[in-house]
Amino acid sequence: MLNVFKKVVPTQIAKLEPFGVEIAIEKGERLLSAALRQGLDWPHRCKVGSCGTCKAVLISGEIKSQLDFAYVLTDKEIDEGYILACQSMLKSDISVRVVQRKEMK
Amino acid sequence: MRTFAVNARYLIVPIMSLLTIGGILLGGSYTWLGVALFGVCTVIDIGTRNIHRRADFASDGTSYGVKRFQYGVMYMMLPVFIALQLALAWQIRKYSVSASEAVALSNLFGAILSAALWAGLGIIYGHELSHNRREGFFVSRLIMALSGASHFTYAHVYNHHLDLGHENDPATAPRGRNVYAHAWHSHMGQSHYSFDMESGKAKRRQKSFMNFDNRWIIGYLFSLPTLVLFIWAGGLWGVAAILIIWGISNFLLEALNFMGHYGLIREEGKPVEHRHSWDNDNIFTSWFFIEIGRQCDHHVRGETYFWELDDVKGPNYGVGYFELFLYTLIPPLFRKFVQVHLDHWDQNYATEAEKKIAKEIYLNANPKIQSAL
Repeated sequence: MLNVFKKVVPTQIAKLEPFGVEIAIEKGERLLSAALRQGLDWPHRCKVGSCGTCKAVLISGEIKSQLDFAYVLTDKEIDEGYILACQSMLKSDISVRVVQRKEMK
Repeated sequence: MRTFAVNARYLIVPIMSLLTIGGILLGGSYTWLGVALFGVCTVIDIGTRNIHRRADFASDGTSYGVKRFQYGVMYMMLPVFIALQLALAWQIRKYSVSASEAVALSNLFGAILSAALWAGLGIIYGHELSHNRREGFFVSRLIMALSGASHFTYAHVYNHHLDLGHENDPATAPRGRNVYAHAWHSHMGQSHYSFDMESGKAKRRQKSFMNFDNRWIIGYLFSLPTLVLFIWAGGLWGVAAILIIWGISNFLLEALNFMGHYGLIREEGKPVEHRHSWDNDNIFTSWFFIEIGRQCDHHVRGETYFWELDDVKGPNYGVGYFELFLYTLIPPLFRKFVQVHLDHWDQNYATEAEKKIAKEIYLNANPKIQSAL
Protein backbone atom coordinates (compact mmCIF):
# COMPACT_ATOMS: atom_id res chain seq x y z
CA MET A 1 0.00 0.00 0.00
CA LEU A 2 2.79 2.40 0.91
CA ASN A 3 4.59 1.67 -2.36
CA VAL A 4 2.71 4.67 -3.74
CA PHE A 5 5.17 6.80 -1.74
CA LYS A 6 8.17 5.16 -3.33
CA LYS A 7 9.70 6.57 -6.52
CA VAL A 8 12.51 5.70 -8.87
CA VAL A 9 15.62 7.64 -7.85
CA PRO A 10 17.86 8.97 -10.61
CA THR A 11 21.61 9.12 -10.04
CA GLN A 12 24.26 11.78 -10.58
CA ILE A 13 28.00 11.46 -10.91
CA ALA A 14 30.69 12.82 -8.60
CA LYS A 15 34.29 12.80 -9.78
CA LEU A 16 36.53 12.56 -6.73
CA GLU A 17 40.14 13.70 -6.47
CA PRO A 18 42.64 12.53 -5.32
CA PHE A 19 40.92 9.13 -5.47
CA GLY A 20 40.70 9.45 -9.26
CA VAL A 21 37.30 7.75 -9.36
CA GLU A 22 33.75 8.59 -10.35
CA ILE A 23 30.88 7.45 -8.16
CA ALA A 24 27.14 7.35 -8.72
CA ILE A 25 25.02 9.23 -6.17
CA GLU A 26 21.31 8.65 -5.83
CA LYS A 27 19.01 11.66 -5.63
CA GLY A 28 18.57 12.52 -1.97
CA GLU A 29 21.80 10.79 -0.96
CA ARG A 30 24.65 12.75 0.60
CA LEU A 31 28.05 12.88 -0.99
CA LEU A 32 29.89 11.41 2.00
CA SER A 33 27.37 8.61 2.53
CA ALA A 34 27.61 7.61 -1.12
CA ALA A 35 31.41 7.64 -1.04
CA LEU A 36 31.58 5.56 2.12
CA ARG A 37 28.95 3.15 0.77
CA GLN A 38 31.22 2.61 -2.22
CA GLY A 39 34.22 1.88 -0.03
CA LEU A 40 36.24 5.10 -0.30
CA ASP A 41 38.44 6.19 2.59
CA TRP A 42 37.01 9.70 2.93
CA PRO A 43 38.05 11.35 6.22
CA HIS A 44 35.01 11.83 8.42
CA ARG A 45 33.92 11.90 12.05
CA CYS A 46 30.49 13.22 13.10
CA LYS A 47 28.52 12.86 9.82
CA VAL A 48 26.06 15.55 10.97
CA GLY A 49 27.90 18.68 9.80
CA SER A 50 29.46 19.77 13.07
CA CYS A 51 33.13 18.69 12.97
CA GLY A 52 34.36 19.69 9.48
CA THR A 53 36.47 16.54 9.01
CA CYS A 54 34.80 15.63 5.70
CA LYS A 55 35.41 18.95 3.98
CA ALA A 56 36.18 19.07 0.29
CA VAL A 57 36.67 21.66 -2.45
CA LEU A 58 33.94 21.86 -5.07
CA ILE A 59 35.76 22.22 -8.40
CA SER A 60 32.76 22.14 -10.71
CA GLY A 61 29.01 21.51 -10.59
CA GLU A 62 26.41 22.46 -8.01
CA ILE A 63 25.42 21.04 -4.65
CA LYS A 64 22.54 21.71 -2.27
CA SER A 65 23.79 22.12 1.30
CA GLN A 66 21.57 20.56 3.95
CA LEU A 67 23.01 22.61 6.80
CA ASP A 68 24.58 26.05 7.08
CA PHE A 69 28.33 25.57 6.52
CA ALA A 70 29.12 28.96 8.09
CA TYR A 71 29.37 27.55 11.63
CA VAL A 72 32.09 25.10 10.65
CA LEU A 73 33.88 26.57 7.63
CA THR A 74 35.41 30.04 7.56
CA ASP A 75 34.10 32.66 5.17
CA LYS A 76 37.38 32.36 3.26
CA GLU A 77 36.92 28.60 2.88
CA ILE A 78 33.34 29.06 1.70
CA ASP A 79 34.50 31.64 -0.86
CA GLU A 80 37.14 29.18 -2.04
CA GLY A 81 34.47 26.54 -2.67
CA TYR A 82 34.86 24.34 0.39
CA ILE A 83 31.84 22.17 1.25
CA LEU A 84 30.97 19.61 3.91
CA ALA A 85 30.46 16.30 2.13
CA CYS A 86 28.20 14.89 4.85
CA GLN A 87 25.71 17.72 4.29
CA SER A 88 25.89 17.97 0.52
CA MET A 89 23.37 16.64 -1.99
CA LEU A 90 24.00 16.99 -5.70
CA LYS A 91 22.13 19.38 -7.99
CA SER A 92 24.28 18.36 -10.97
CA ASP A 93 27.23 16.15 -11.76
CA ILE A 94 30.18 17.47 -9.79
CA SER A 95 33.90 17.32 -9.42
CA VAL A 96 35.45 17.69 -5.94
CA ARG A 97 38.85 17.47 -4.28
CA VAL A 98 38.73 15.70 -0.95
CA VAL A 99 40.85 17.33 1.77
CA GLN A 100 43.14 14.62 3.13
CA ARG A 101 43.92 14.26 6.84
CA LYS A 102 47.51 15.42 6.40
CA GLU A 103 46.24 18.72 4.91
CA MET A 104 44.08 19.49 7.93
CA LYS A 105 45.40 21.85 10.56
CA MET B 1 1.94 -5.90 4.16
CA ARG B 2 5.26 -5.92 6.01
CA THR B 3 6.05 -2.45 4.67
CA PHE B 4 2.70 -1.20 5.92
CA ALA B 5 3.17 -2.73 9.38
CA VAL B 6 6.70 -1.39 9.83
CA ASN B 7 5.69 2.13 8.87
CA ALA B 8 2.33 2.19 10.68
CA ARG B 9 3.89 1.21 14.02
CA TYR B 10 5.46 4.67 14.26
CA LEU B 11 2.04 6.34 14.26
CA ILE B 12 1.36 5.91 17.99
CA VAL B 13 2.25 9.50 18.91
CA PRO B 14 0.41 11.12 15.97
CA ILE B 15 -2.75 9.15 16.75
CA MET B 16 -2.59 9.77 20.49
CA SER B 17 -1.84 13.47 19.93
CA LEU B 18 -5.00 13.74 17.83
CA LEU B 19 -6.99 11.93 20.53
CA THR B 20 -5.58 14.36 23.10
CA ILE B 21 -6.66 17.31 20.96
CA GLY B 22 -10.10 15.74 20.63
CA GLY B 23 -10.33 15.34 24.40
CA ILE B 24 -9.42 18.97 25.01
CA LEU B 25 -11.97 20.14 22.45
CA LEU B 26 -14.71 17.94 23.91
CA GLY B 27 -14.10 19.48 27.32
CA GLY B 28 -15.32 18.16 30.65
CA SER B 29 -13.39 15.24 32.05
CA TYR B 30 -12.27 14.34 28.51
CA THR B 31 -9.60 17.02 28.91
CA TRP B 32 -7.71 14.48 31.04
CA LEU B 33 -7.53 12.04 28.12
CA GLY B 34 -3.97 13.07 27.26
CA VAL B 35 -2.81 12.39 30.82
CA ALA B 36 -4.65 9.05 30.83
CA LEU B 37 -3.06 8.03 27.51
CA PHE B 38 0.38 8.90 28.88
CA GLY B 39 -0.39 6.65 31.85
CA VAL B 40 -1.55 3.81 29.59
CA CYS B 41 1.65 4.12 27.58
CA THR B 42 3.68 3.90 30.79
CA VAL B 43 1.92 0.66 31.74
CA ILE B 44 2.44 -0.82 28.26
CA ASP B 45 6.10 0.19 28.30
CA ILE B 46 6.69 -1.51 31.64
CA GLY B 47 4.73 -4.56 30.50
CA THR B 48 6.89 -4.92 27.38
CA ARG B 49 10.23 -4.20 29.05
CA ASN B 50 11.62 -7.61 28.16
CA ILE B 51 10.66 -7.55 24.50
CA HIS B 52 13.55 -6.27 22.43
CA ARG B 53 13.67 -6.48 18.66
CA ARG B 54 16.17 -5.46 16.04
CA ALA B 55 15.09 -3.10 13.28
CA ASP B 56 13.30 -4.83 10.41
CA PHE B 57 15.19 -5.25 7.18
CA ALA B 58 14.32 -7.20 4.04
CA SER B 59 16.53 -10.12 3.04
CA ASP B 60 18.56 -7.84 0.74
CA GLY B 61 19.36 -5.57 3.69
CA THR B 62 17.09 -2.68 2.69
CA SER B 63 14.81 -1.12 5.25
CA TYR B 64 11.03 -1.41 5.08
CA GLY B 65 10.80 2.26 6.11
CA VAL B 66 9.32 4.51 3.42
CA LYS B 67 11.10 7.84 3.55
CA ARG B 68 8.43 9.97 1.86
CA PHE B 69 5.72 8.57 4.13
CA GLN B 70 7.73 9.04 7.32
CA TYR B 71 8.77 12.54 6.33
CA GLY B 72 5.16 13.38 5.45
CA VAL B 73 4.08 12.27 8.92
CA MET B 74 6.87 14.21 10.64
CA TYR B 75 6.06 17.39 8.71
CA MET B 76 2.36 16.93 9.52
CA MET B 77 3.20 16.88 13.21
CA LEU B 78 3.89 20.63 13.04
CA PRO B 79 0.20 21.48 12.35
CA VAL B 80 -0.83 18.79 14.85
CA PHE B 81 1.20 20.43 17.62
CA ILE B 82 -0.15 23.84 16.58
CA ALA B 83 -3.68 22.42 16.78
CA LEU B 84 -2.89 21.13 20.27
CA GLN B 85 -2.03 24.66 21.39
CA LEU B 86 -5.07 26.15 19.63
CA ALA B 87 -7.39 23.64 21.33
CA LEU B 88 -5.98 24.48 24.74
CA ALA B 89 -6.10 28.22 24.07
CA TRP B 90 -9.76 27.83 23.13
CA GLN B 91 -10.53 26.15 26.48
CA ILE B 92 -8.59 28.82 28.37
CA ARG B 93 -10.47 31.52 26.45
CA LYS B 94 -13.78 29.93 27.43
CA TYR B 95 -12.65 29.77 31.06
CA SER B 96 -11.42 33.35 31.16
CA VAL B 97 -14.58 34.73 29.52
CA SER B 98 -17.20 32.81 31.48
CA ALA B 99 -15.09 31.58 34.43
CA SER B 100 -16.16 28.25 35.88
CA GLU B 101 -19.61 28.29 34.27
CA ALA B 102 -18.32 26.77 31.05
CA VAL B 103 -15.09 25.07 32.16
CA ALA B 104 -14.28 23.67 35.60
CA LEU B 105 -10.82 24.66 36.84
CA SER B 106 -9.92 21.02 37.47
CA ASN B 107 -10.73 20.14 33.87
CA LEU B 108 -8.81 23.14 32.61
CA PHE B 109 -5.86 21.84 34.60
CA GLY B 110 -6.35 18.46 32.93
CA ALA B 111 -6.27 20.14 29.53
CA ILE B 112 -3.05 21.99 30.39
CA LEU B 113 -1.34 18.83 31.65
CA SER B 114 -2.51 16.81 28.65
CA ALA B 115 -1.27 19.48 26.24
CA ALA B 116 2.06 19.76 28.08
CA LEU B 117 2.81 16.03 28.05
CA TRP B 118 2.06 15.63 24.34
CA ALA B 119 3.68 18.93 23.35
CA GLY B 120 6.80 17.58 25.05
CA LEU B 121 6.84 14.73 22.57
CA GLY B 122 7.57 17.26 19.84
CA ILE B 123 11.19 16.55 20.70
CA ILE B 124 11.14 13.19 18.92
CA TYR B 125 10.22 14.88 15.62
CA GLY B 126 12.30 18.00 16.30
CA HIS B 127 15.27 15.72 16.90
CA GLU B 128 14.86 13.51 13.83
CA LEU B 129 14.24 16.45 11.51
CA SER B 130 17.30 18.31 12.80
CA HIS B 131 19.52 15.69 11.19
CA ASN B 132 18.41 15.46 7.66
CA ARG B 133 17.10 17.76 4.99
CA ARG B 134 17.45 21.54 5.07
CA GLU B 135 13.66 21.85 5.01
CA GLY B 136 13.45 19.37 7.86
CA PHE B 137 15.89 21.42 9.91
CA PHE B 138 13.59 24.43 9.54
CA VAL B 139 10.49 22.44 10.50
CA SER B 140 12.45 21.10 13.47
CA ARG B 141 13.09 24.67 14.64
CA LEU B 142 9.39 25.51 14.32
CA ILE B 143 8.31 22.41 16.25
CA MET B 144 10.82 23.14 19.01
CA ALA B 145 9.77 26.82 19.06
CA LEU B 146 6.28 25.70 20.09
CA SER B 147 7.97 24.64 23.33
CA GLY B 148 10.12 27.77 23.52
CA ALA B 149 13.21 25.68 22.69
CA SER B 150 14.17 26.51 19.12
CA HIS B 151 17.81 26.79 20.20
CA PHE B 152 17.78 22.99 20.60
CA THR B 153 18.08 22.31 16.88
CA TYR B 154 21.41 24.13 16.50
CA ALA B 155 22.83 23.11 19.87
CA HIS B 156 21.95 19.46 19.31
CA VAL B 157 23.72 19.19 15.95
CA TYR B 158 26.73 21.44 16.52
CA ASN B 159 27.33 20.89 20.23
CA HIS B 160 25.82 17.61 21.45
CA HIS B 161 26.90 15.46 18.50
CA LEU B 162 30.42 16.87 18.59
CA ASP B 163 31.06 17.05 22.33
CA LEU B 164 29.00 14.10 23.56
CA GLY B 165 30.26 12.47 26.75
CA HIS B 166 32.53 15.41 27.53
CA GLU B 167 32.03 18.30 29.92
CA ASN B 168 31.73 20.63 26.91
CA ASP B 169 28.37 19.05 26.15
CA PRO B 170 25.65 20.48 28.41
CA ALA B 171 23.25 17.72 27.31
CA THR B 172 25.44 14.95 28.79
CA ALA B 173 24.62 14.54 32.48
CA PRO B 174 27.69 13.89 34.65
CA ARG B 175 27.58 11.18 37.32
CA GLY B 176 25.87 12.37 40.47
CA ARG B 177 23.57 14.95 38.88
CA ASN B 178 19.79 14.49 39.16
CA VAL B 179 17.28 15.05 36.38
CA TYR B 180 15.91 18.26 37.89
CA ALA B 181 19.33 19.93 38.02
CA HIS B 182 20.14 18.53 34.60
CA ALA B 183 16.99 19.99 33.03
CA TRP B 184 18.10 23.47 34.07
CA HIS B 185 21.82 23.09 33.27
CA SER B 186 21.23 21.40 29.93
CA HIS B 187 18.55 23.83 28.77
CA MET B 188 20.54 26.91 29.71
CA GLY B 189 23.82 25.42 28.49
CA GLN B 190 22.43 24.62 25.06
CA SER B 191 20.86 28.06 24.73
CA HIS B 192 24.17 29.60 25.78
CA TYR B 193 26.02 27.52 23.18
CA SER B 194 23.62 28.68 20.49
CA PHE B 195 24.07 32.28 21.67
CA ASP B 196 27.86 31.94 21.48
CA MET B 197 27.66 30.43 17.99
CA GLU B 198 25.71 33.42 16.73
CA SER B 199 27.91 35.84 18.60
CA GLY B 200 31.03 34.28 17.02
CA LYS B 201 29.48 34.32 13.56
CA ALA B 202 28.51 38.01 13.92
CA LYS B 203 32.04 38.91 15.05
CA ARG B 204 33.66 37.03 12.17
CA ARG B 205 31.44 38.91 9.75
CA GLN B 206 31.96 42.20 11.60
CA LYS B 207 28.23 42.54 12.24
CA SER B 208 26.32 43.54 15.33
CA PHE B 209 24.93 40.67 17.45
CA MET B 210 21.48 42.11 16.71
CA ASN B 211 21.24 41.18 13.05
CA PHE B 212 18.59 39.60 10.86
CA ASP B 213 20.64 36.42 10.44
CA ASN B 214 20.94 35.73 14.18
CA ARG B 215 19.33 32.27 14.53
CA TRP B 216 19.35 32.43 18.33
CA ILE B 217 17.16 35.53 18.32
CA ILE B 218 15.02 34.35 15.40
CA GLY B 219 14.45 31.03 17.18
CA TYR B 220 12.95 32.75 20.19
CA LEU B 221 10.92 35.03 17.91
CA PHE B 222 9.38 31.86 16.45
CA SER B 223 7.91 31.30 19.93
CA LEU B 224 6.21 34.69 20.02
CA PRO B 225 2.98 33.63 18.27
CA THR B 226 2.43 30.98 20.96
CA LEU B 227 2.93 33.54 23.70
CA VAL B 228 0.60 36.04 22.01
CA LEU B 229 -2.05 33.34 21.52
CA PHE B 230 -2.07 32.39 25.20
CA ILE B 231 -2.03 35.99 26.43
CA TRP B 232 -5.01 36.68 24.15
CA ALA B 233 -6.76 33.53 25.36
CA GLY B 234 -6.49 34.10 29.06
CA GLY B 235 -4.25 36.97 30.12
CA LEU B 236 -2.42 35.84 33.26
CA TRP B 237 -4.16 32.45 33.10
CA GLY B 238 -2.83 32.06 29.60
CA VAL B 239 0.69 33.03 30.65
CA ALA B 240 0.54 30.55 33.54
CA ALA B 241 -0.69 27.83 31.18
CA ILE B 242 2.06 28.34 28.61
CA LEU B 243 4.72 28.48 31.31
CA ILE B 244 3.50 25.12 32.63
CA ILE B 245 3.49 23.69 29.11
CA TRP B 246 6.97 24.98 28.31
CA GLY B 247 8.25 23.85 31.71
CA ILE B 248 6.94 20.30 31.34
CA SER B 249 7.79 19.91 27.66
CA ASN B 250 11.36 21.13 28.19
CA PHE B 251 11.69 18.89 31.21
CA LEU B 252 10.70 15.90 29.06
CA LEU B 253 13.23 16.95 26.42
CA GLU B 254 16.03 17.20 28.95
CA ALA B 255 14.96 13.95 30.63
CA LEU B 256 15.58 12.23 27.28
CA ASN B 257 19.05 13.80 27.12
CA PHE B 258 19.60 12.77 30.75
CA MET B 259 18.66 9.15 30.11
CA GLY B 260 20.53 8.95 26.80
CA HIS B 261 24.03 9.62 28.13
CA TYR B 262 23.93 9.77 31.94
CA GLY B 263 27.38 9.35 33.44
CA LEU B 264 29.12 8.23 30.25
CA ILE B 265 32.59 9.53 29.57
CA ARG B 266 34.59 10.27 26.44
CA GLU B 267 38.06 11.73 26.17
CA GLU B 268 38.10 15.05 24.35
CA GLY B 269 39.07 14.62 20.71
CA LYS B 270 38.47 10.87 20.65
CA PRO B 271 35.79 9.61 18.26
CA VAL B 272 32.23 9.07 19.46
CA GLU B 273 31.61 5.34 19.65
CA HIS B 274 28.68 3.11 20.52
CA ARG B 275 29.76 2.93 24.17
CA HIS B 276 29.15 6.67 24.67
CA SER B 277 25.35 6.32 24.70
CA TRP B 278 22.72 4.25 26.45
CA ASP B 279 20.21 2.33 24.36
CA ASN B 280 16.56 2.13 25.40
CA ASP B 281 15.12 -0.21 22.85
CA ASN B 282 12.29 -2.27 24.21
CA ILE B 283 9.57 -2.69 21.65
CA PHE B 284 7.13 -0.05 22.87
CA THR B 285 9.78 2.60 23.48
CA SER B 286 11.21 1.96 20.01
CA TRP B 287 7.88 2.37 18.24
CA PHE B 288 6.50 5.17 20.40
CA PHE B 289 9.65 7.30 20.37
CA ILE B 290 10.40 6.56 16.68
CA GLU B 291 13.61 4.72 17.62
CA ILE B 292 15.16 7.71 19.39
CA GLY B 293 16.23 5.22 22.06
CA ARG B 294 18.74 3.65 19.66
CA GLN B 295 21.23 6.28 20.74
CA CYS B 296 24.34 4.10 20.36
CA ASP B 297 23.81 3.65 16.63
CA HIS B 298 22.43 7.16 16.13
CA HIS B 299 25.49 8.91 17.52
CA VAL B 300 27.84 6.94 15.30
CA ARG B 301 25.65 7.13 12.20
CA GLY B 302 24.00 10.51 12.75
CA GLU B 303 22.93 10.72 9.12
CA THR B 304 20.85 7.55 9.36
CA TYR B 305 17.06 7.69 9.28
CA PHE B 306 15.37 6.49 12.45
CA TRP B 307 13.79 3.46 10.78
CA GLU B 308 17.23 2.19 9.77
CA LEU B 309 18.83 2.41 13.23
CA ASP B 310 19.70 -0.94 14.72
CA ASP B 311 20.77 -2.73 17.87
CA VAL B 312 24.57 -2.42 17.97
CA LYS B 313 24.99 -4.22 21.31
CA GLY B 314 26.04 -1.04 23.07
CA PRO B 315 25.31 -0.13 26.70
CA ASN B 316 21.65 -0.80 27.39
CA TYR B 317 19.50 0.00 30.42
CA GLY B 318 17.26 -2.93 29.55
CA VAL B 319 14.08 -0.96 30.22
CA GLY B 320 12.04 1.51 28.19
CA TYR B 321 11.95 5.28 28.46
CA PHE B 322 8.63 5.49 30.31
CA GLU B 323 9.85 3.16 33.05
CA LEU B 324 13.25 4.80 33.30
CA PHE B 325 11.64 8.24 33.36
CA LEU B 326 9.71 7.22 36.48
CA TYR B 327 13.00 6.20 38.14
CA THR B 328 14.64 9.53 37.25
CA LEU B 329 11.84 11.41 39.01
CA ILE B 330 13.02 9.85 42.29
CA PRO B 331 16.77 10.61 42.30
CA PRO B 332 17.80 8.10 45.03
CA LEU B 333 15.97 5.33 43.17
CA PHE B 334 17.57 6.33 39.86
CA ARG B 335 21.05 6.49 41.39
CA LYS B 336 20.65 2.98 42.80
CA PHE B 337 19.35 1.66 39.47
CA VAL B 338 21.95 3.36 37.31
CA GLN B 339 25.02 2.62 39.46
CA VAL B 340 24.82 -1.06 38.54
CA HIS B 341 24.84 -0.10 34.88
CA LEU B 342 27.65 2.43 35.33
CA ASP B 343 29.79 -0.15 37.11
CA HIS B 344 29.15 -2.55 34.24
CA TRP B 345 30.09 0.19 31.76
CA ASP B 346 33.31 0.95 33.62
CA GLN B 347 34.28 -2.72 33.66
CA ASN B 348 33.23 -3.72 30.17
CA TYR B 349 33.12 -0.70 27.87
CA ALA B 350 35.39 2.07 29.21
CA THR B 351 38.94 2.55 27.97
CA GLU B 352 41.70 2.93 30.58
CA ALA B 353 41.66 6.70 30.06
CA GLU B 354 37.88 6.83 30.52
CA LYS B 355 38.17 4.73 33.69
CA LYS B 356 40.73 7.19 35.00
CA ILE B 357 38.34 10.10 34.43
CA ALA B 358 35.56 8.12 36.14
CA LYS B 359 37.79 7.50 39.18
CA GLU B 360 38.53 11.21 39.46
CA ILE B 361 34.81 11.99 39.29
CA TYR B 362 34.12 9.53 42.10
CA LEU B 363 36.99 10.87 44.22
CA ASN B 364 35.67 14.42 43.89
CA ALA B 365 31.98 13.54 44.25
CA ASN B 366 30.12 15.16 47.09
CA PRO B 367 28.33 13.27 48.56
CA LYS B 368 30.50 10.22 47.88
CA ILE B 369 29.26 7.71 45.32
CA GLN B 370 29.74 4.01 45.99
CA SER B 371 31.16 2.46 42.85
CA ALA B 372 33.05 -0.63 41.75
CA LEU B 373 36.07 1.44 40.70
